[in-house]
Amino acid sequence: MTRRLVPLFVVLAMVVASCGADDEPAATTAAQETTTAATQATTTQPEEVVVVPSQGGTLGEIQARGSLRCGVSTAAIGFAEPQDDGSYTGFDADYCRALAAAVLGDATAVEFVGTTAAERFNVLAAGEVDVLFRNTTWTQSRDTEIGGDFGPTTFYDGQQIMGKADFGFTDASTLVDVDGARLCTNAGTTTEKNITEGARVVGAEIELVTVENFPEAMDLFRAGSCDLVTTDGSALFGHRYAAIQNGEIAEGDWIIFPTTPISKEPLGPMYRQNDSQWADVVNWLVYILIIADEKGVTSANIDEMIANPPDPEAGRFLGVGEDELQTKMGLEADAYAQAIRQVGNYDEIYVNNLEPLGFARAGSANARWTEGGLVYAPPAR
Amino acid sequence: MVTPPDRSSQTRVPIWRNVVVIKWATQLGILFGLLWLGYVVITQATSNLRATGIPFSWDFLGEPLGVKLGEGFNTDPESGLEALAVGMVNMLRVTWSGVIAATILGTVIGISRLSSNWIVSRIANAYIEFFRNIPLLVQILFWQALIVGLLPDLTPEMEGSRWLFASPKGIAMPWLTPLAGRWQYTVVLILGVVVARWVYRRRIALQEREGHDTHAFAWSIGTFAVFLVGGWFAHPVAGVLGWLFSALAWVAGAVPVIGLQLVLAALAVWLAARYIVRYLGRLRSPAGMAKLSDDDYFRLAVAGVVGIGVMLFFVSGAGQATLSSVLGRTLWYQMNWGFEPLFDFLASRFDFAGGAPLRFTLPEVVVPTRFPQYSHEVGKALTPGFMAVWMGVTLYTAAFIAEIVRAGIMAVPRGQGEAAAAVGLRRGQVLRLVVLPQAFRIILPPLGSQYLNLAKNTSLGIAVAYADIVQVGQTIFNQEGQALAVFIFWMGFYSLVSLILSGIVNYYNRKMALVER
Repeated sequence: MTRRLVPLFVVLAMVVASCGADDEPAATTAAQETTTAATQATTTQPEEVVVVPSQGGTLGEIQARGSLRCGVSTAAIGFAEPQDDGSYTGFDADYCRALAAAVLGDATAVEFVGTTAAERFNVLAAGEVDVLFRNTTWTQSRDTEIGGDFGPTTFYDGQQIMGKADFGFTDASTLVDVDGARLCTNAGTTTEKNITEGARVVGAEIELVTVENFPEAMDLFRAGSCDLVTTDGSALFGHRYAAIQNGEIAEGDWIIFPTTPISKEPLGPMYRQNDSQWADVVNWLVYILIIADEKGVTSANIDEMIANPPDPEAGRFLGVGEDELQTKMGLEADAYAQAIRQVGNYDEIYVNNLEPLGFARAGSANARWTEGGLVYAPPAR
Repeated sequence: MVTPPDRSSQTRVPIWRNVVVIKWATQLGILFGLLWLGYVVITQATSNLRATGIPFSWDFLGEPLGVKLGEGFNTDPESGLEALAVGMVNMLRVTWSGVIAATILGTVIGISRLSSNWIVSRIANAYIEFFRNIPLLVQILFWQALIVGLLPDLTPEMEGSRWLFASPKGIAMPWLTPLAGRWQYTVVLILGVVVARWVYRRRIALQEREGHDTHAFAWSIGTFAVFLVGGWFAHPVAGVLGWLFSALAWVAGAVPVIGLQLVLAALAVWLAARYIVRYLGRLRSPAGMAKLSDDDYFRLAVAGVVGIGVMLFFVSGAGQATLSSVLGRTLWYQMNWGFEPLFDFLASRFDFAGGAPLRFTLPEVVVPTRFPQYSHEVGKALTPGFMAVWMGVTLYTAAFIAEIVRAGIMAVPRGQGEAAAAVGLRRGQVLRLVVLPQAFRIILPPLGSQYLNLAKNTSLGIAVAYADIVQVGQTIFNQEGQALAVFIFWMGFYSLVSLILSGIVNYYNRKMALVER
């Protein structure tokens, strides 16, 4: 008994000594050493703060290298799906191509780098990729703490719930309808919290099962162990699409609701902070693809549009107006015209990649701002 | 102690070769080296954490978590501490039910392994070889896949009661559903065990005095049965405990934090003093006091210094400030160490409520909204996560326990049984009185370490989303970013559980051990 208490005493003594050392600096040499160590620790502390210096010149590096290194998700249905030749297809991958077309004039000059959720920020900070187009939610903490900056949102995602039509779910179902359900979700920083709070607000009683990764939640959902699953809408649509494709379910068997998601997950590009030139290039790529959609400039009609611009603004971003701005950004005058020609405008990228999965653009947050959506760009002038 | 017989006649031993100096210097050097190392680690970790922008703090214990938990006595905890408490109780639930099931199963298989029936012993052998050679994580995932993947789905048409439900939502079985008087009844049963033990001893003493069978075992069982049946009706008597706990809660609430500190300070001094007295007592023999060696002096000095140091730490202002910064204000001041809420909780369970304390109920499927689910009111519903972890740790540990039981029985020399038979004991008596007591003595220490393994292995429940302390802790540090604090909590909790478990096993081990004189 007492013998086993000895380690306890030693630990307590360590605490006593380490705390008392500052009060009695001259007690022993060991105590003196600890105090000097303490002062060293406090004086050296400012040096430990990680300051990410201005990188600068990412644009120049890409042009010298002749290819764009673009960080995408390792696998996200509709957003970045790996192909046999190492390239990727999908919404995010098309943005990589459009950016390469704008910067290098060639949409194929992209080196895709598949990154996991955990490593993406480190990969970016270490300079292994020039830009991330990787389902990354724009948040204040990410904007301030990890040495990167966000570009404009390309896809307004949000947490939604998926249930089986057998239980009477329709597209009009709301959060109230989850009452009494056993609900599965994946461990994240916000998914569990959003659903807990949402259910509490509407007074729905739920049993929440939190698994490590979302595919496990889908397994439980399929087996009927969970009545519902919840995570970002894009993942739900992707999994439902895959299930329909492989014949597991019929169209309309799984319902995704509510139409207005229960959280905001704006996804967009991310680049290293303090490189304004490169930030402008990426931001205006996103904006101009949106403006092109507003003005009806598509990959199909771009040559007519260049020959005969509908208005001065279109002339500017297509690089045919007198006062075009692309050369001042360090790009060719027709940079963004190349992006539209080789890849397409926002609507084309969206429709090609996401509509087959069941993400209707009309009526969602990703509709044009003139049609009630949030997709809006500042003017090109 | 090596002391030259006559210092003056020889050259003085230089100080760096003096045995006494060397001994004390190395002891003190290692002690202070350790203290210094600990200090460096703590200050370095603190400053690094501050640099990441997430300074170390226990504040999450008092703040709302905002996330629902999978299962437990409160799935909607109001604070981080409450969430961790739910996780701890879930871990203990799977541990104690696993220990009981693995012990029974392991014993049966271990004895089967020795059976002269060839098929029985081969099956036991196959079981052992199969379960102990497959990693536990794989087994747990396998049980989860089996429950979730193969059992038929629960449908709204199944609404109603049955003896057993098995579906991907878990297993539901009949249960003795506890009612209002269960705590009072529990107290009566504990009292019954104590009295039954006393009666057993009295009968054994009588047997030894008078030399005829006094049926001690039957007597003790009968005594317990009296409490079992009588308590069913008389349990409201135990309601007086409610007053006791209310009073304790009042005292705990009225005593300021400094009171607890004084108690801890007194405890430290008392433990140190007891250690010194006992140590000296061990060196004393009828021939007189043995000579104290350097090591003895060192131990006594350290015990005294530590005791007084801890006392000073608890009563001094500096100690108080350190504790409140290390433990956080929540833990140190606001929670009042949990004594008041604990006693309040206990007091609320004893209220002279009458009626049956338990009720036998069948499980039921209900459809309150649109989803079929197991009723929480009747029967016992076990989630797939719990079932997977419980089956995993039970079947896995049972394989090891079976081998320990077999080894224990085989280690009793054959001559013991033969000798017992030779003096005329019956077969059952040979086993009960001669072989098993000796086998048990061999079995106990390794059995204890298997229990510890089982307790620690429950942490694998995170793989099947079982809301034990690891999963809850991970949710907390996902939310709050206090990974270090959560890790400290985990380590403290698992150490405590392991120490208590091994303490219980060691207690029995000491009781069972041969008394050597």
